[in-house]
Amino acid sequence: MYSEMLGNKYFLARNYDNAAKNFQYALQADPINKSAKKKLIICFTQIGQIEKAFESFYQLVKEDINFIIETDPVADDCPCAELTVKYGNILPYENESYDLKLMLAMLWLYCSAEKSLEFFKRILVENPGDPRIKEITSLIEEKIKPTNKPIH
Amino acid sequence: MAEQKNIRDEILDSIGEGLLTVDKDFKINFFNRAAEQITGFNREEVLNQFCKYVFRCELCESKCPIGLILESGSPLYDFKSSIEIKDGTRKPVKLNAAILKNESNEPIGGVISFRDLSEIESIRKDAGSAGNFFGIIGRGKAMQDIFSLVKEIADSDATVLIQGESGTGKELVANAIQATSKRKSKPFVKVNCAVFPETLLASELFGHIKGAFTDAFKDRIGRFELANEGTIFLDEVAEMPFQTQVQLLRVLQEGTFERVGESIPRKADVRVIAATNLKIDEALKRSKLREDLYYRLNVIPIFIPPLRDRREDIPYLVKSFIKEYSKAYNKEIDDIEDSALDVLMNYTWPGNVRELENVIEYLVVRAKNMTIRLENLPSGIGSSLSTEKQISEFKKENPSELLQLLEKHKWNKTKAAEELGIGRTTLWRMLKNLKND
Repeated sequence: MYSEMLGNKYFLARNYDNAAKNFQYALQADPINKSAKKKLIICFTQIGQIEKAFESFYQLVKEDINFIIETDPVADDCPCAELTVKYGNILPYENESYDLKLMLAMLWLYCSAEKSLEFFKRILVENPGDPRIKEITSLIEEKIKPTNKPIH
Repeated sequence: MAEQKNIRDEILDSIGEGLLTVDKDFKINFFNRAAEQITGFNREEVLNQFCKYVFRCELCESKCPIGLILESGSPLYDFKSSIEIKDGTRKPVKLNAAILKNESNEPIGGVISFRDLSEIESIRKDAGSAGNFFGIIGRGKAMQDIFSLVKEIADSDATVLIQGESGTGKELVANAIQATSKRKSKPFVKVNCAVFPETLLASELFGHIKGAFTDAFKDRIGRFELANEGTIFLDEVAEMPFQTQVQLLRVLQEGTFERVGESIPRKADVRVIAATNLKIDEALKRSKLREDLYYRLNVIPIFIPPLRDRREDIPYLVKSFIKEYSKAYNKEIDDIEDSALDVLMNYTWPGNVRELENVIEYLVVRAKNMTIRLENLPSGIGSSLSTEKQISEFKKENPSELLQLLEKHKWNKTKAAEELGIGRTTLWRMLKNLKND
């Protein structure tokens, strides 16, 4: 008995495995359901399916990057802040695994586009062959450029 | 459209039960006036907030009521829980919950209605507090022994079999066992085995997979999975079909079960409390209950005596129910005439405490004075004739015992009447008759 609502319930309880199953079901029925996709990306990162998370992330960023950037961690009960803290405030240039940095690059976009950009720039250096990373980096750069905010 | 919404909101505001609805993200989108009064929150404070931060039901973290329905597909009725209100204290509530669906049958929200049980709980606590154990009234030895046993087994996960006639309070004893056990904060699932058709009980208990039978359109978890880490109460267990008894036996022996239509064993960490109103000897003889299951269930046996065998509790039960129903029906009834109490004491109560409770509710509803009188009693409950008959029998058979009893209590007639299980007026009449003789 899968449903987006049940996915939301599991997501609120941080039960990412069951939430992912329900969001995947919801997306089969309605592939343009951005809300389910946005949460599914986080679920995939937490159940070790980084490539699946990244492919969904790439699609959603291309489709509507603001939908992720404008996430309100409190109003949306988004776990991005607790998750980035969970991994110990890793910096982009630290000698950590590629997958971990890719995961943090995605998660940071939910709460800080600047931080996310730092990670994507670093990942681009390590993996210049993936056109998706280049495209995402450009899209984030474009988004935060007009604000002239300093990069932390 | 807006007018219709206003009318709907007005109607929902006029009801006494707290009511809230959530959208599919579990954000509150309606909160009625009674919900404001019960929780202390204004609707402006809670609208568009996640319900888990407002409603804070004790099960929000592990078993959200709406989540349970989404998982099981069955609505939740009269589910006892507690909520944290605005001032940080907890309130006991009884809640119902259901899912709201769109035209495509997809869940788009949920509705929870809840009743504040604080007053009823405090009345239950007040009513003869010394003889009140988790809402069970019993000052006599039989009931006090049961209360002691329940406290003794608080640390145990052993299976309990509660026996007793219909209406003796088997479910209340099960509640007390759960509430004192180490699993008290975990789910407590109740199943009346007699309610389900034979073919559906196994599916209800153990769940099924899609296609397991004609109406199994999707996977569904059973009550054992819902009760995981908690307790399950199997009422009328002897009404369970023989085949399902085998499956239950396996849960008790191995801690595993399979969903109907599936061959993957699943683990069940569930404490079982079972109850039956059948006479066990007969149930075994008539092969209604498997002998091996009986021995597995009967690790801790509890036998609740019928009310006719614990008449000493009747005055306290009567007092408690009068208080409870006077409050519920907003009446000021505080007493019952001795002669009326005598009749209640001498009636055989085939329906036990439940029947007594119904009679008191009837009396409270109909009472026009502050005291319940003999003439208010329903005609079926018996008449003063039966009381007189018993008086005459006692007088004939036990005149010296009566005198000894009065000596024992230093001629305190109230105490003597209590020990005899009769009212003071009856005792007075018996003494009068003795003098005449």
